[in-house]
Amino acid sequence: MLAYRDGDAGAFEILYARHRGALYRFVLRSMKDRAIAEELFQEAWIRVIEARERYAPSARFKTWLYTIAHNLLVDHWRRKGLTLVELSDDEHASPDNPAHQVEARQTAARFLQVLEALPPAQREAFLLHEEGEMSVAEIAAATGTNEEAAKSRLRYAMAKLKAVIDE
Amino acid sequence: MSDDDKKVSERYRELPREEPPRALDDAILAASRRAVQARPAPLVAPTGRRRWYVPLAAAAVITLAVAVTLHVERDRPGEEVDAVSSAMKVQEAPKAEVPKAQAPKVAEATRAEASKPARKEPQPFAAERRADSAGALSAPAAPPAAEAEQRNDVGAASSGARVMRDERVRAQSQMARTVEQSPEAELERVARLRAAGRHEEADKALAEFRKRYPDYRIAPAMLEKVEKK
Repeated sequence: MLAYRDGDAGAFEILYARHRGALYRFVLRSMKDRAIAEELFQEAWIRVIEARERYAPSARFKTWLYTIAHNLLVDHWRRKGLTLVELSDDEHASPDNPAHQVEARQTAARFLQVLEALPPAQREAFLLHEEGEMSVAEIAAATGTNEEAAKSRLRYAMAKLKAVIDE
Repeated sequence: MSDDDKKVSERYRELPREEPPRALDDAILAASRRAVQARPAPLVAPTGRRRWYVPLAAAAVITLAVAVTLHVERDRPGEEVDAVSSAMKVQEAPKAEVPKAQAPKVAEATRAEASKPARKEPQPFAAERRADSAGALSAPAAPPAAEAEQRNDVGAASSGARVMRDERVRAQSQMARTVEQSPEAELERVARLRAAGRHEEADKALAEFRKRYPDYRIAPAMLEKVEKK
């Protein structure tokens, strides 16, 4: 990113190639609408480009990139009247009918369904952990929360997804 | 990470690895290139006051260098005096003795000698020297006193140079007077008048000589030439 800040356009292409897939899946799986996901994905990179002259390496580039994406998601949810509040297990209702569940158990689609059904904060923590390969501390930094909350969200998400596997 | 967590991770990685569409990649990369082309970032991004440091330092160094150079050029009277006095020595010494045929060469050498230090001088002095040389070339037959006067008239920009030139002129005219007024020369003149048959003028000149040099003892050979036979 420092090379790109200093005018090396090729440096951005390397950065983009390294993070494009993971960030795209992070955004895509954080919401169900693909068009909006693509819009937010593009917006995240445009913000990186625009902020290049102000960029200072105070944190890892990846953490900075996912923080931008997280903020865009939060803004989107706010516009939609949603918030990133932690939901309890009871609040999380299974959306699927029994027939679909039986079919999904046979495939990875079931796993994906459960992932999409996770409360946004837990899903985000899980996706940052898997796609961003982030530690609890990095998740806390990217989402602007403390490590305890990040750890708790990640643990809940893992437990629910494990339950799907064990079924 | 526990074994259960690993299983969850493995299952997640079995999901399709979706990638952004090609058009999206192209749009983002094009935007990144446009940003670089539109405003290339400097090698060292100057911020705040630092952006003025380099131009300010350069301006200060140039100003100081010019001031010191001018100061040094103006404060060199020693060299000027040396140059002029050496020129005078060369000019004055041979004039009385050198035959006429060699005179132009001597004058040329004198001019060359005088022009050497002019290279080191600031512009006004150099111009003055050039004017002197031009005067000497245009009137090579002029007597030393007239030449000195002509040089004096060229106009001096600096008072130091003017004083030195005046001294030189005085020395030259003094020398000319000495040659003209020597008793031997006077007697020679009387003898020439006598030989030419201009006895009245010769008598007058001789009387004047005796009045001017009452104690002078005229040699017998010369006495024979100057006295009326």
